[in-house]
Amino acid sequence: MRGAKSAKWVVGAVVVALAATACGGGDGDSKDKGSANGGVFRLGSTEPDTIDPGRAHESTGVLLANALFTGLYGNTPDGLAEPALAESATSDEGCTSWTFKIKPDTKFSNGEVVDAESFARGWARAAHKAAASDVAYHFAGIKGYEQLQDGSAKTFSGVTTPDPTTIKVDLSKADCEFVLKTAHNAYSPVPKVAKVGEEDKAFGEAPVGNGPFKMDGTWEHNKAINLVRNDGYGLQKASLEKVQVTLLNDKTAQQLEYDGFQAGTFDYAHIPTPMLKTAEAKFKPQNKWFAKDTNGMNFVLPIGDNGPTNNKDARLAISYAIDRQAIAKGVFQGYQTPSTTIVPPAFPKAYQKDLCVSCVKQDVAKAKEYAEKGGLKPGTEIKFSFNTGAGHEEWVQAIAKQLEDVLGVKVKLDGKDFPGMLKEQQGSGATGIYRFAWGADYPTPENFLFPLLHSASMNKDAEGNVTGDNRVRYNNPEFDKLIDTARGTKDEAARLAMYKQAEKMAMDDMALIPTFNRSQFRLMATDKFNGLDDINFNEDPILEKISLKK
Amino acid sequence: MVIVLIGATMVLFACLFVLPGDPVGSIAGSDKARDPAVVAELKARYGLDKSLPEQYVNYVAKVATGDLGEDFVQRREVSEILGPKLQNTAKLALLAIVLVTVFGMGVGIIAALYRYSILDMATTFFTTMAVGFPTFVIGMLLMKYFAVELQWFPQLGGDKLEGMVLPAITLAITDIAFVARLTRGTMLEVLRADYVKTAVAKGLPRRRVLFKHVLRNSSIPVVTYLGISFGGLLGGALITEAIFNWDGVGLALVQAIQQQNNPIVIGVVTYSVAIFVVLSLIVDLLYAALDPRIRLS
Repeated sequence: MRGAKSAKWVVGAVVVALAATACGGGDGDSKDKGSANGGVFRLGSTEPDTIDPGRAHESTGVLLANALFTGLYGNTPDGLAEPALAESATSDEGCTSWTFKIKPDTKFSNGEVVDAESFARGWARAAHKAAASDVAYHFAGIKGYEQLQDGSAKTFSGVTTPDPTTIKVDLSKADCEFVLKTAHNAYSPVPKVAKVGEEDKAFGEAPVGNGPFKMDGTWEHNKAINLVRNDGYGLQKASLEKVQVTLLNDKTAQQLEYDGFQAGTFDYAHIPTPMLKTAEAKFKPQNKWFAKDTNGMNFVLPIGDNGPTNNKDARLAISYAIDRQAIAKGVFQGYQTPSTTIVPPAFPKAYQKDLCVSCVKQDVAKAKEYAEKGGLKPGTEIKFSFNTGAGHEEWVQAIAKQLEDVLGVKVKLDGKDFPGMLKEQQGSGATGIYRFAWGADYPTPENFLFPLLHSASMNKDAEGNVTGDNRVRYNNPEFDKLIDTARGTKDEAARLAMYKQAEKMAMDDMALIPTFNRSQFRLMATDKFNGLDDINFNEDPILEKISLKK
Repeated sequence: MVIVLIGATMVLFACLFVLPGDPVGSIAGSDKARDPAVVAELKARYGLDKSLPEQYVNYVAKVATGDLGEDFVQRREVSEILGPKLQNTAKLALLAIVLVTVFGMGVGIIAALYRYSILDMATTFFTTMAVGFPTFVIGMLLMKYFAVELQWFPQLGGDKLEGMVLPAITLAITDIAFVARLTRGTMLEVLRADYVKTAVAKGLPRRRVLFKHVLRNSSIPVVTYLGISFGGLLGGALITEAIFNWDGVGLALVQAIQQQNNPIVIGVVTYSVAIFVVLSLIVDLLYAALDPRIRLS
């Protein structure tokens, strides 16, 4: 507050100072008024699984990989693609071949030039068997992926570099949204020190990147990861001098972050769900409270090929029987909103509010009617599986109670650890309903519809286990065809229309049962920093936009 | 000692590897499906594709040479990972055991000497409370009031002494209570003993009686307790380290169990058993020093 008051008359001086030090990069961003270069931004987080750009997949790893590396494209906080190092991206008419032009003469923090070759290297490295990367599947559409996955090749046959600033990508299947995928951290360029086709531990401990920040030392496991501004960054340079990530024990991390924010240890914090009300009351008046609906969606996942939910009527009955409003208000105390779609509201162009008619309002009569038709007779046993210890117990129990009260069925709750639940969900014996959530990797409805519902994402093996993300086992050839055509359609409006139509088709089949849109809440030290008015597409602070308040 | 060590790790190894769950799956819990190729690659890398007996033989062969193996997550030597953590835990344990000795014995002695006084009753009351309070409650309360509200101490422990105060108190508080009660009890017993009465009757100064006869004789059970307690602290105080995010073996163990990072779990237990064995030996030696009737044969 003091900062805001003084800012009015300091502004002039700061602009002069910024221009003098030439570190602001000559930006005209009015939000940064009253900012100064420097400062240490401190946050707490759990120990990442990996910070290697070719492998990072969970929250902290992605935060760091994105701070250390810059690829062809990025995502805006509100879910639109924006070019980063790409100067242009063009495809042929059929969307099977893409050509990217990149900005010349940007550098890695070791001084090496970022050229087309470094992109080809990074992609092949991440897709190669030796990387054992959980995110390698993002390259699955590029020609030569199989050869890298089985280790028989060290380069993508589909990626060529005619000159240092041109990358040509040949796809095995038409994909007019391929450009969006390049915003994923796996598509980062890497310098020559990164090894392709062999395990690369050293690089993973202290990656050399081309992002707005670089490593300050190496990863101190379970202790800290420190970043420092990359003064040689090729795009707009960061203002912060340092970013300190303190690694916290994952059992108590959120509480430690929350306590730490109050103790002055951290400048940014997640909030444990039970503390949301207290936190809002305390920090909203101080303007340190932040809330946003994000691209994460929560579902009840009905197994579609087996058990009591194998027909549309039974699934409709379940959907009608759930009182989402009551749970949002009761269990979540108003901090989550009921959901009526598969594609999140965070994609405004594709969002079709209230598409799921049975989701809008609990309807006991209709629930009973569909239950009758779908064979969910009173007394039928439905297994409801969820992972324990992640805060799902309460709402899962609430839904179970509603199903029992409305339909007279018997819901058998089955709590397991997370890997255990995932394994069971993929197994051939999966039955009943599961707790499920999905977040997007790139801003397109396809990133929900294809992985979750396309039959190609099911990959049943000989024993009938699902290895893809289509865990509901939704199999609708018409839906598949629509998605495939959409992926190969160049015109954005036409493509979106097809995705919308496909979503409606899946919703009519009640393939997935929407429950809640994911809302995120944060505490941010807005008294010390500017640029804390949003979180990015990955729900992280936008480090490159944060600056010290003066 | 070697036998105890081998036995302990063997039992643990069997338990860990027979447990349901998939270490590879746990290394990274992800909502999204894992490619079978990735799983196979990881299993091969960690030797988990081999049969259990084969894994066991490989493990024992390595441990025999003092090599605790490589952990699943960082792929570094277990001893290299645990070394600095053991030091961190030792720092905390040392401070805690000093607090326990000084305050536990001090309070116990005073309570025994002034039996049934208000002081004694207060001691009984507070020690009962302290024993009854779970460690995590004590730790969280201390953090809440002294770090978050008053901000007298840092919220997360660091390398400085002030960062060690809250976790050390959390660790020590229950043991202080135990040691106080133990000291008080044994002191009272010894005070009633004939040889003390004789000493007093002989006209020895009170101070001399107290230090030479009473304290020395009543400290044997206390020393035993302190030895065991210190061993426990060195083996990692799981809850306290987790609350204060103290980078010690306790926290490492908690995380390793969660991630099914078995080499670390076995490593921590191996160290703990070794420490226990050594400390028992030291306690035995101390007995001899304290009570000349006890002789080590």
